[in-house]
Amino acid sequence: MVEKEVTVVPEEGLHARPAAKFVKMAKGFNSDIKVIKDSTEANAKSSLNLMTLGATQGDKLLIQAEGEDAEEAVEALAELISTEEH
Amino acid sequence: MVEKDAGEVSGKALRLEGVAASEGAAVGPVFVHALEEFEPERETIPEGSVEEEISRFEAAVEAVVPQLSETAEKMREAGNEDEAAIFDAHIELAQDPELADGVAERVRNLESPESAVLAVGEQYAQMFEGMEDEYMAARADDVRDVARQIAVEISGHKAAGLEALREPAVILARSLAPSDTARVPKGMALGFLTAEGSKTSHVSIMARSMGIPAVVGVGQKLEKAFEAETVALDGTEGYAIADPDPDTLAEFERKEQRIASEREALEEYRHVEARTGDGRRIEVAANLGSAKEAADALEWGAEGVGLFRTEFLFMERDELPSEEEQYEVYREVAEAFGEKPVVIRTLDVGGDKDLPGVEQPEEENPFLGWRGIRMCLDVPELFKPQLRALLRASAHGNLKMMFPMVADAEEVRRAREVLEECRRELEDEGAEAGSPEVGVMVETPAAALCAADLAKEVSFFSVGTNDLVQYTLAADRGNERLRHLQNAGHLAVLKLIGLTCEAAKEAGIWVGVCGEAAADPDLIPRLVGLGVTELSMSASSIPRAKKIVSEL
Repeated sequence: MVEKEVTVVPEEGLHARPAAKFVKMAKGFNSDIKVIKDSTEANAKSSLNLMTLGATQGDKLLIQAEGEDAEEAVEALAELISTEEH
Repeated sequence: MVEKDAGEVSGKALRLEGVAASEGAAVGPVFVHALEEFEPERETIPEGSVEEEISRFEAAVEAVVPQLSETAEKMREAGNEDEAAIFDAHIELAQDPELADGVAERVRNLESPESAVLAVGEQYAQMFEGMEDEYMAARADDVRDVARQIAVEISGHKAAGLEALREPAVILARSLAPSDTARVPKGMALGFLTAEGSKTSHVSIMARSMGIPAVVGVGQKLEKAFEAETVALDGTEGYAIADPDPDTLAEFERKEQRIASEREALEEYRHVEARTGDGRRIEVAANLGSAKEAADALEWGAEGVGLFRTEFLFMERDELPSEEEQYEVYREVAEAFGEKPVVIRTLDVGGDKDLPGVEQPEEENPFLGWRGIRMCLDVPELFKPQLRALLRASAHGNLKMMFPMVADAEEVRRAREVLEECRRELEDEGAEAGSPEVGVMVETPAAALCAADLAKEVSFFSVGTNDLVQYTLAADRGNERLRHLQNAGHLAVLKLIGLTCEAAKEAGIWVGVCGEAAADPDLIPRLVGLGVTELSMSASSIPRAKKIVSEL
């Protein structure tokens, strides 16, 4: 299992639009991916689930992945969430 | 009190106060849109049909998704990227694996799929509503909207919504879902008036992008207006009047006319070349904070970019942006504007903001500290990649660059030396590079007072009025108590701009203004009178500025 801690950078947090982008990317990987905030888990491929985390700018998240492309998945998603929205 | 007057015809006007969500005024007949509580006909399903019912849910999702993407496409074609993104998010929600899992689980317990999808949607909606964040709470409506569409699809009903509207009306509703607003036939909505909502609700965003006045969040009182025949609505002030009396009607008529003629008058200026009555060309440009704002600015009629801030590239990240990354961004904005000039300001940060990899001392006065060109000259690993990226990108458009926070001609000479060094390096590497014009920002009184010296070093000046005001009047921009001193029309500031323009004229170079003063209707005539030939501002102010210029 691969994991990485990141800080949410986009001003909108992990809300509807940023979440959609995040999910789209997560779905591109075969691994099972989880996002954890304060011990609450969410399925990275579900924006509904992700949004219930209520992750806002500055929050710390743990991204966890398990599977063949776990490493790439964690790297890519961590990068997405720690850069300004383009 | 209302009951007592119920029988009377006059004097029953009802005033509703709410959030001014979208500018403009409207008067029209009332159309009440009840967000039909969709009641599924079946609560349960017979045993043995579980798999079949799960497939019905999946088929409904597959039917709803193309409708959503069609709407997203329509929005995109109309240039409403933000609204298109809302429907993209809805597609995600409709296809959400957790929604599907939740529904499947309930169906296995013999609940009908239409009832299940509503229940799961409602569960999430309530979770979102419980969040403190206003934006997040508004997303509850997204989930309800999507769940309802899927449920309706499963039941095979046709949703009878606002598409049934045949006469222009003011639409009253508890709240409006994006799928509702998107279905309003063109020209049929005169205004929106809702009980719930805030400035960031979908209805507000949609209304603004459609240019339709809206007042939202008027509360339960809205129901009292359901019986009204006519509603007058002011989306600029944020109120509505149900059953307005003749005086109010007349007032609104004047309001509507004024707004309509203002809009129309501005519309024709959007894409004209700004020129004064005596034929002087004044370039009206946009201030941009990122490359993605370029299309919008062009749409507003920007004749170039007078200030492209580069700070966004450097903020909130672990390492400095590479030359390549910067090159891509500068090239993108240069190409978007083609032959039109794009003035890029080199990095302007100081001790008030963190920079990755640059150790910044604690300063008591960051705005009088190590910032802008002062910092860049001291940290070549910060400055040189940006200059190299700018030189390379300038081969792809009409790029210019300018240095911020200049107080002394020596700083400009040193910056130009670094620029020369970069040019030689690129030449040796055989890299493609252009020769952009170089200018300085006039934002310290020193720069204005020594403009004649500076003019020998550069091809243009750009007056940053926001900082020039704060440094000239010794009044912090953020200090509320000093509002009266945050005034670019102050004689001291205008005198400094005058000096700048004189020195520029003497040296045969041009002067632009890229602070808030550039869009100020009262100041534009004075700036142009002093000799300013470029005004750069927020894109949405461009049509008005062009109009003011052409009336000079």
